[in-house]
Amino acid sequence: MRGLIPAAALLVAGAVSPALAHHSFSTEYDRSKPVSVTGVVRKVEWRNPHIWFYVDVKDARGQVATWGFSGAPPAFLMRQGIARDAMKPGDVVKVDGFRARDGSNNASGGRVTFADGRSVFTASPEDVRPD
Amino acid sequence: MYTHLGAPSWAGQLGVVIAAAVLSACTSTQPAPQESQAVPRTAGGKPDFTGVWAGPGFMHTGQDVDTAQVRRYTEANMAPITPDGQALLNRARTGNVRIDDPTAICLPNGLTRQIPSPYAQQWIQTPTQLVILYEYMHFFRVIPFGPPNRAHAPDIEPTYMGDSIAWWDDDTLVIDTIGLNEWLLDAYHPDDGGSRWHSDRMHVVERLRFTDARNASYDVTLDDPVVFEKPWVERWAMQLKPTWKILEFICDDNDRCRTGNCTDADVQASSTP
Repeated sequence: MRGLIPAAALLVAGAVSPALAHHSFSTEYDRSKPVSVTGVVRKVEWRNPHIWFYVDVKDARGQVATWGFSGAPPAFLMRQGIARDAMKPGDVVKVDGFRARDGSNNASGGRVTFADGRSVFTASPEDVRPD
Repeated sequence: MYTHLGAPSWAGQLGVVIAAAVLSACTSTQPAPQESQAVPRTAGGKPDFTGVWAGPGFMHTGQDVDTAQVRRYTEANMAPITPDGQALLNRARTGNVRIDDPTAICLPNGLTRQIPSPYAQQWIQTPTQLVILYEYMHFFRVIPFGPPNRAHAPDIEPTYMGDSIAWWDDDTLVIDTIGLNEWLLDAYHPDDGGSRWHSDRMHVVERLRFTDARNASYDVTLDDPVVFEKPWVERWAMQLKPTWKILEFICDDNDRCRTGNCTDADVQASSTP
């Protein structure tokens, strides 16, 4: 396993953004369960209908879990000037989003913040985004 | 043009793609419109809508990059709702995804939701017909030109995109559509998970007119006597994007959390402690 930075908190709290739910958001993610994790990007799937990226996150006991995050469609990101190599395996990122309704380690990836502080939304424009 | 937040290992390939797109635009028979140029016109003198457009589902920056956004029909613009139309327009959540949110299982947008779809669309205009290729789910419309206000064919089979015919009103392109399924009006969902629908009597009239060489007004008149007491108009716009091309979109390709039930990726299955 590659080196990991300490995991940040997994938040399951009440902050909610204004609702303009997307087809996939309202049926797939729970906007009452925001998630915030920090870890190392393990894989990026630059595919339709939404990109997915996976982040290895170490918990307080040192155990590693891989979280999956859904982002915007590739076309949306390209047209905002975000290339497919904007996030690569090995990058350290903080991801804020909302957890999947099935309670698995999957979530919408509303915001990605890189180790140097750069921040970029990866959510679809119709998704609920973190505050 | 593109921001590389990580190492630019893919930049070379992307650059080639972009360069090819620019070269293609420069060498095509249709010159790339610019703000200083006149409205593009066909050899016959009609406005020429041929090109790749950022429809109402974009911010319209005037630049090569643009930001998709979800537009919905504006409540303030709507005509009064009929007593029978309330339940259809403000459809309560049923628990059936085919009703509450059909696109969540890759069913079509339908025309009224497709118009403001936040994906690119390519228009191909000939003297006899207009072809619109929508990136989202690869929908298309083949729309014949003809005399104004003519009748639609009598044997229309209801569909998600309906039966469209077109004509010119001076320099305004008019597209008239009937034959639509009862289906989603737009992408709006209230907090309770409901949806907005129109009836199968929906009649849509799109009126498009260049406002300059790169921009067009896009007025959509919605006439649904089941839902609304009278026709009403949503006024949108679209913008030509000479360097864009429409991309492939496969709804089922990597839809990992359909209806909230996620499928683990290979890397998750191999790493979960």
